Amino acid sequence: MIFREVEDRDLIAKARRGDVEAYNLLVSRWEKRVFNYLLRLVANREDALDVSQDVFLKAYQNLPKLDDPAKFSGWLFRIAHNEAFSLLRRRKPEIDLAGEPRAEIERGLLPIELSLAVESALGRLNEDQRETVLLKIYQGFKFEEMAEILGCPVSTVKSRLYTALDLLKTTLAPAVIRGEL
Amino acid sequence: MTCNEIDWKGYALGELSKSERTQAEAHAAACSHCREELAATRLTLDALSTLKEEEVPRRIAFVSDKVFEPRWWQRFQPTFAAGCVIAAAILVHGFAQPRLDQTTVQSMIVREVANSQQKYQGQLEAILDEIQKENRLDFIQNTGMVRQ
Repeated sequence: MIFREVEDRDLIAKARRGDVEAYNLLVSRWEKRVFNYLLRLVANREDALDVSQDVFLKAYQNLPKLDDPAKFSGWLFRIAHNEAFSLLRRRKPEIDLAGEPRAEIERGLLPIELSLAVESALGRLNEDQRETVLLKIYQGFKFEEMAEILGCPVSTVKSRLYTALDLLKTTLAPAVIRGEL
Repeated sequence: MTCNEIDWKGYALGELSKSERTQAEAHAAACSHCREELAATRLTLDALSTLKEEEVPRRIAFVSDKVFEPRWWQRFQPTFAAGCVIAAAILVHGFAQPRLDQTTVQSMIVREVANSQQKYQGQLEAILDEIQKENRLDFIQNTGMVRQ
C-alpha cells in the first residue's frame, strides 16, 4: 500500500505537469476499485460505468486542486461519492434498491449463493448505510478517511456502519451458520 | 467493564487500540454473551468478504481518448477574441484620432468586424466540416452502411 501511494504520488505529480500517460496509468490503477464501489452503491452496471467515467474526468480536471497527493484515494472516492449520490437523487422515485428478500437466505448456502445473499442483504440497506460498508469492508478506509469522503463526523460514520452491520448480522450470520460455511 | 462498554464491531474491524483490545479480550473470556456477539459479527464480516470484486466490463476511457477531448464549441472561442480586437481598435482610433466623425468611426468598426469575421470564418468552416464528417461516420457506423 505504501509503495502504491508513493507511485500514485509520482503519477499525480506527472499528470499535474500535463503528462497524459501518467494519468492514464492512474486510471488503470484505480478504475476497478472505483467501479466496484459505484456498482454496489448504484446497483446498476451501466450507471456504475458511466459514473466511473465522470469521476475520472472530474478528477483529471480538478487534479491541480488536490492539496495533498498522499490523500488521493480519499479525494477520488469523495468525487465518486458525490457523483453517485447525484445520480441516486435524480433517479430516487423510480428505483427501489431494497427489493424483496431472496429465498436463498432461508436455507443452507453454497458460496455462490452466499454471494447472492450478501448482495441482496446489502441492497436492503439504505444508501448511507450501504456506503459505509463499501468504504470500510471493501475499500479498507479508516473512520477518519470515511468521514472526509462522506463529509460528516466520525461519530455519524460509526453510527451508520454499526447499524448496517447489525442489520446485515441478522440476515447473514444465521445464513452462514445454516450453510456451514 | 460491562458488555455495553465494549465495541465489538470496532474490535472485529481492527479499529480498537491495543489497550482497548486487551480489555475486550479479558471481558470476553468471562462473558459468553459477548463471545457470541463477537462470533456473529465475525461471521457477518466473513460473509461480506465472499463478495468478489468484479472486473470493469470495458475500460474507463483515458484522457487521450476522444471522450476527454473538448467539444467543438469548447474549442471555438474566437468571439471573445474578436470582441477584444474590435474594442481595442475603437479605443485606439478614439484616442489617436479624437476628431473623427461618427460615419468614419462606424465604417472603421464595420471594417474591423469584417476582418475578424474573415479571420475566423475559415476556422469555423473547418470545425463544421469536422462535425459533418463525424456525423457521417456515426451514421455509417450505426446503420452498418459502407460507402460504395
